[in-house]
Amino acid sequence: MVLTTNYLPRIFNSCLAKIISLIIFSFVCLNSGAFAQQKSIKGKVLDASTSLPIAGVSVKVAETAKASSTDQNGQFVLNDVVIGNTINVSSVGYSEYSFKVSNQNEYIIRLSSELNTIEETVVVGYGTQKRRNVTGSIVSVGSQEIEKTSLQDPISILQGRAAGVQVTSNSGAPGGEMTIRVRGNSSLNSGNNPLFVVDGIPIESGSVSSLNGTQNFGLNPLADINPNDIASIEILKDAASTAIYGSRAANGVVLITTKRGAEGKPEIQVNATTGVSSITRFLSVLNARQYREAVLESYGALAVPEEPYYTLIDSLSPMNNGDVNWQDELMRTARENKVDFSVRGGNESNRFAWSSSYLDQDGIVINSNFKRFTSRINTDFKLSDRIRVGQSASYTNGVNNRINAAGTGNLSIIRSMLVRPPNMSMYLPDGSINGYMIGQRNPVGMALYATNLGKSNRLIGSQYAEVDIVKDLKFRTNFNIDYIAMKEDEFMPSILDYREGYNTGATRSTTNLTWGNESYFTYNKSVNDVHNFGAVLGMSFQNWRYDRTGLDGMYFPSDDIRTLNAASVISNQGVNIGSEHAMLSYFGRLTYNYMSKYMLELNMRSDGSSRFGREKRFGYFPSASVGWRFVEEEGIKSLGWLSDGKLRFSVGSTGNEAIGDYTSQGEFTLGTNYLDFSGAAPTVMPNASLTWETTTQYNLGLELGFVNNRILLTTDYYLKKTRDLLYNVPIPNTTGFEFITQNIGNIENKGLEVGLQTRNLVNAFKWNSNFNISFNRNKVTSLPNELLTNGFIQNGTYHILQEGLPIGVFYGWRFQGVYARDEDNVNNVINGANGPKYVGGDPIWKDVNGDNIINQDDREIIGYAEPKFFGGFSNDFSYKNFSLNVFLQYSYGNEIYSELNHQRNSIVSYNNLSTDALNRWREQGDVTNFPRLIRNDPKQSDSRVQSRWVEDGSYLKLKNVNLRYTFNSQWINKIGLRKLDMFVTATNLITWTKYTGYDPDVNSYSGLRVGVDEGSYPQNRSFMFGLSVGL
Amino acid sequence: MKITIKSILGAALISVLSYGCSESLLDKDPISSFSGQGFYKKASDAQAGVNGIYNSLQSTMRLNFAYWGEGRADNVTTRHSGDPFALQQNALTPIINSAKWDNFYTLISRANYAIKYTPTVFQTEDSPLRNQLLGQARGLRGLAYFYLTRIWGDVPLITEPYESVEQDIFVARTPSADVLKQVEEDLLFAAENCADNYTGDRDKVLFTKSAAQAFLTHLYMWQKRYDKAIETADKIITGNRHSLVSISDWNNIFTMGRSAESIFEVGYNETQTNALRVLYALGSDSDYVPSANFIASIEEGDLRKEKIYDVTQAQPRKIWKFFGEGFNDESADPSSNNIVLTRLSDIILLKAEAHANLNQNDDALTLLNQIRRRAGLEIMDASSANNLYGSLIGAILHERSIELSFEGHRWFDLVRTGLAIPTMKPINGLSDERNIVWPIFETTILRNPNLEQNEFYK
Repeated sequence: MVLTTNYLPRIFNSCLAKIISLIIFSFVCLNSGAFAQQKSIKGKVLDASTSLPIAGVSVKVAETAKASSTDQNGQFVLNDVVIGNTINVSSVGYSEYSFKVSNQNEYIIRLSSELNTIEETVVVGYGTQKRRNVTGSIVSVGSQEIEKTSLQDPISILQGRAAGVQVTSNSGAPGGEMTIRVRGNSSLNSGNNPLFVVDGIPIESGSVSSLNGTQNFGLNPLADINPNDIASIEILKDAASTAIYGSRAANGVVLITTKRGAEGKPEIQVNATTGVSSITRFLSVLNARQYREAVLESYGALAVPEEPYYTLIDSLSPMNNGDVNWQDELMRTARENKVDFSVRGGNESNRFAWSSSYLDQDGIVINSNFKRFTSRINTDFKLSDRIRVGQSASYTNGVNNRINAAGTGNLSIIRSMLVRPPNMSMYLPDGSINGYMIGQRNPVGMALYATNLGKSNRLIGSQYAEVDIVKDLKFRTNFNIDYIAMKEDEFMPSILDYREGYNTGATRSTTNLTWGNESYFTYNKSVNDVHNFGAVLGMSFQNWRYDRTGLDGMYFPSDDIRTLNAASVISNQGVNIGSEHAMLSYFGRLTYNYMSKYMLELNMRSDGSSRFGREKRFGYFPSASVGWRFVEEEGIKSLGWLSDGKLRFSVGSTGNEAIGDYTSQGEFTLGTNYLDFSGAAPTVMPNASLTWETTTQYNLGLELGFVNNRILLTTDYYLKKTRDLLYNVPIPNTTGFEFITQNIGNIENKGLEVGLQTRNLVNAFKWNSNFNISFNRNKVTSLPNELLTNGFIQNGTYHILQEGLPIGVFYGWRFQGVYARDEDNVNNVINGANGPKYVGGDPIWKDVNGDNIINQDDREIIGYAEPKFFGGFSNDFSYKNFSLNVFLQYSYGNEIYSELNHQRNSIVSYNNLSTDALNRWREQGDVTNFPRLIRNDPKQSDSRVQSRWVEDGSYLKLKNVNLRYTFNSQWINKIGLRKLDMFVTATNLITWTKYTGYDPDVNSYSGLRVGVDEGSYPQNRSFMFGLSVGL
Repeated sequence: MKITIKSILGAALISVLSYGCSESLLDKDPISSFSGQGFYKKASDAQAGVNGIYNSLQSTMRLNFAYWGEGRADNVTTRHSGDPFALQQNALTPIINSAKWDNFYTLISRANYAIKYTPTVFQTEDSPLRNQLLGQARGLRGLAYFYLTRIWGDVPLITEPYESVEQDIFVARTPSADVLKQVEEDLLFAAENCADNYTGDRDKVLFTKSAAQAFLTHLYMWQKRYDKAIETADKIITGNRHSLVSISDWNNIFTMGRSAESIFEVGYNETQTNALRVLYALGSDSDYVPSANFIASIEEGDLRKEKIYDVTQAQPRKIWKFFGEGFNDESADPSSNNIVLTRLSDIILLKAEAHANLNQNDDALTLLNQIRRRAGLEIMDASSANNLYGSLIGAILHERSIELSFEGHRWFDLVRTGLAIPTMKPINGLSDERNIVWPIFETTILRNPNLEQNEFYK
């Protein structure tokens, strides 16, 4: 990003901190004279690639806050500066640049566009590298991109912004869980989450929530990190960059680096945003009259027609004379407020960054809310010329007032608001809530009166010491902890139950402590800038401890006292568990480059984990990579049109150790109680020969720059082969066990990633674009035969795993329409052997084997959850003081199994239906695609896993629009401000899709059962207005 | 400053060295559970191991006791799809849920662990607790194998715990006669070693001598060893530990549990629940309602009638027996009632049936009339039995059908008396002897190459 002026002494150049990343602990060589002498300087600011002058650039003395800006010719004058002052030069759309005042009086500054990433510093495992020298596949997202969003956790920010990184939403709830995959799924049974490392601290990234903490209702532990604190996010994708993280790196590594203090006068920054959000669309349901007709019809369709057990609409009964659309009652326009405050600064030897933020975010479902307070202190102290110490510490307090959105359960409010009978009155004549009717709880009552509260406190911190032992050789050690304490409370009051005084409550306390130490030597040697050597050698120890206690109770004398001391019956006191595992590792890296032209890098890590048997405990994870910056070759350099060109290749292996802490030892579990008598039972069969899953990855990358790097193209092709998959192999249950965990099976992911950064317009009106697209092809390449039933493994309700097919294949019956008349079933197709014949109004199933019997053998693949490609397209426009970011995100070719549509289109219990049911088959001759309504259909047509619920989930989203106005520094300096920005951000503005559910960005399960919509908390559309004030 | 450098380097080196020397850092024992080998250490561990067996009995019986014992018989009809429909229509397939035997084998595995390891934690062989625990473990294992053979016929017989992958996990089926030998051996051991009775919250829900004797009686009836059945039943009837409750308390046997009449029931509570309500009492949507045949078969003046089902409806949709007269909850929530597996009336009627089979009609009638009298019915004699029910045995079976209705006995009664086909053929076309056992669940077959599907279902 810095193309420097010739006027600057070389030493400044090499020592300057790169503001965009803010992470090198560079310390500026002090050379200011003892006698300060005031003088004037002047200069000219040019665009580095076009050499055109830039107007309106802010030029500021860091020490005194004295400021100026450039005129139409890019020229500026600054008075009263002294030699040694730091001058910061910044302008919208360009990377910030700073220099020190020397005895020179005139300066020419070349600002490079933010897009020119070749010279930027990227964070890698245990160090940093120049982008030009990187031989692995790493994608970075910087703070400037983050600032354009109003998203509140780092994972959502990555959606569509980084090639090869797929992000889907498990829940649209504030603080809800997200799924992130780097280059596809590479494990069947173990985790598929990447390793998250914040400022060198490996952190917990799985939900620790335990009440309703099931897969589809988890909390996002990354929401504990305030995006405003983030300087950059690096996603390490190939083995060359991840192997140094060894056994936890098979799913990629996400490095988050937070902002640190820079030398200069402390800068105070206050950001305030406020806004509203609402649901993107409503789904249509039947009204009370239509509902009544439908239910009556379903009883009439029985072999022996019956009257409904309940009176459906009774104008005399206060319980069921309503006509309610529950969505209207449960959805709201929600408010969101956030304030960020930070002070960052320091002098030559001490630097600090302190920030706090408070977020108060209402969910779009009534009574759901997320409040988060975060505070962070990052400091760096120079104890002597050779020793530096410092720390990074953040504290987060989160209060998540949730609603139950747990899948298809009867308590899920999202499902309830679509299927609750419309005739159920909201309130009784006395004004109290109509809590319970027809075996179902009032969803508004559940949202208002039930408790689902999660409170968490989290401390992530590390302290480091860094010593220059001799020239070129450094030693760094850091101790780190990640501590989460989460308390969860749940309460279901008696007003929502039919039993007098029956209420239930539960509480859970979970603590999760990760601590460790990492110590390593770094050696960097440059011989005449021709031969550049680097080496890293170190070791690490990491320990994970998890504890949980809890109680369940019932029959609280009052709904008002909800703590467990009030429960008259303690129904479960058995929750008191702990678990621990540890890892001891050694790692090293060697790098060499010849004039930044030919590059070589070798990495190695050895990990020992307590999760595996003694003999199998240590695993070794090597990688090697080479790079060739062919643009440096004379013949190519002279071409002129090519401004950058690099070819790189890497190969290496990484591991996955994500299995139970004690699986290899076998387990005798307590808590298999009988009434109040404590019980124990063998639950896990031991297997001492368990070992890691190993992924071998090949990566070929090509980076090209054209027209002075106005066009930058990055392409990567990769092949990832995972073997020794940890899989729970089913065994005959006559053993008393369901399965035994073994290393078995292979998976392959291969893909292509393309990133294109362009500077389309570079004059007064600027337009920069950043486009990325990723293609990943996933395939299960081998499964052990003994696991296969009919050639595949059933993976949950909707999916199968089969050799040669990707993970995420929907398997079921193909729906081919509805028999209009009885006689249309010309082949006399029957439901199951000796079963009843299909008649008019029944679905027509594809008879795969042609035997005229619809049974298990007639299932086939009915959909693919994995997209053909996905990515994002970001456009930045700026003119004078205005800047506009328009960000599009897309996914193409993925299909969604809408279990929610199944729920709301089949007549189960007394559930309401979607308006699609108005087109249902009613009598002989009706030609329609909606089968007849029949209660407890003996042919069980609705509950088959079927193509009728598979929909195209492709979408294009106008995900983010951010319009910003930056006030002229001349004006605001007069009122004592350094900087003043005003902005409006819209999120999820428009979604183009054929999907009929709430939102195609949905993934109810965070595991392998991808692409299912079970009625997750819906996504919202939000509009935020904000002010950013710098002092 | 040099000192600082040295001390930091020193610290770093020490930490490096101490890591290197301590790979024991990587030895982590389970904190809240035990490793596979490390559990049995003291008497309370053995106690917990046995409680774990009951825990799996809860899961085994919570729903399926009715599918196995009533679903294929003539007392119920269903409007539900799934298992209830398949069983009632005699359209059993290898993918219905009641074809799964998993829970039985989980129970057996836990029992096998307990039987192997309980002796290791006691010093002496004559410790009463040791013997009671072993008695319970073997009694429960015997009970499990008894159900298994009655449902599937020949089944794998496993009496040792699985502790390593080296053991043979693909076990073939053992002829049911041999399995029943093991059942008898286990139950006899239990009848010898279990406690006579328990008080307080252990009462009726733990396996006792009389529980063992009651299931032995069932076993002998199944095997048509009537002398043995009479002998064993007699021990219970004359043991004076159980007595018939009055008709006004009849529902309380089920609603409150632990009645004087009860011999063995599976305990449930608010958190360890079962499906009784969904099976029988959820008027809008229950699995089962009384069949028209059943309703018609109730004699005039039977005091139990209005205690069994909702007589206020022409088309009854609720079975009241397990929840009490007038029960009207409309929630699909699970129930906390105990499930009574055997009680004194059951044994009295079995003994009556054994006598009748041995043509000891007076003894049989005395016992039968004990139950009829309580129900407010006329005393029966041999000729009225013949007139009404064709035979004395027929009368006793009819009495069992009413007295023990919906408790999970009817199907097994029909099978062991050879009445399954004559009774069910007009209802659902059951006609093949080989169709009487259940199919083995599909994945169970697929996971074990040495298992063959039951003949009828191939």
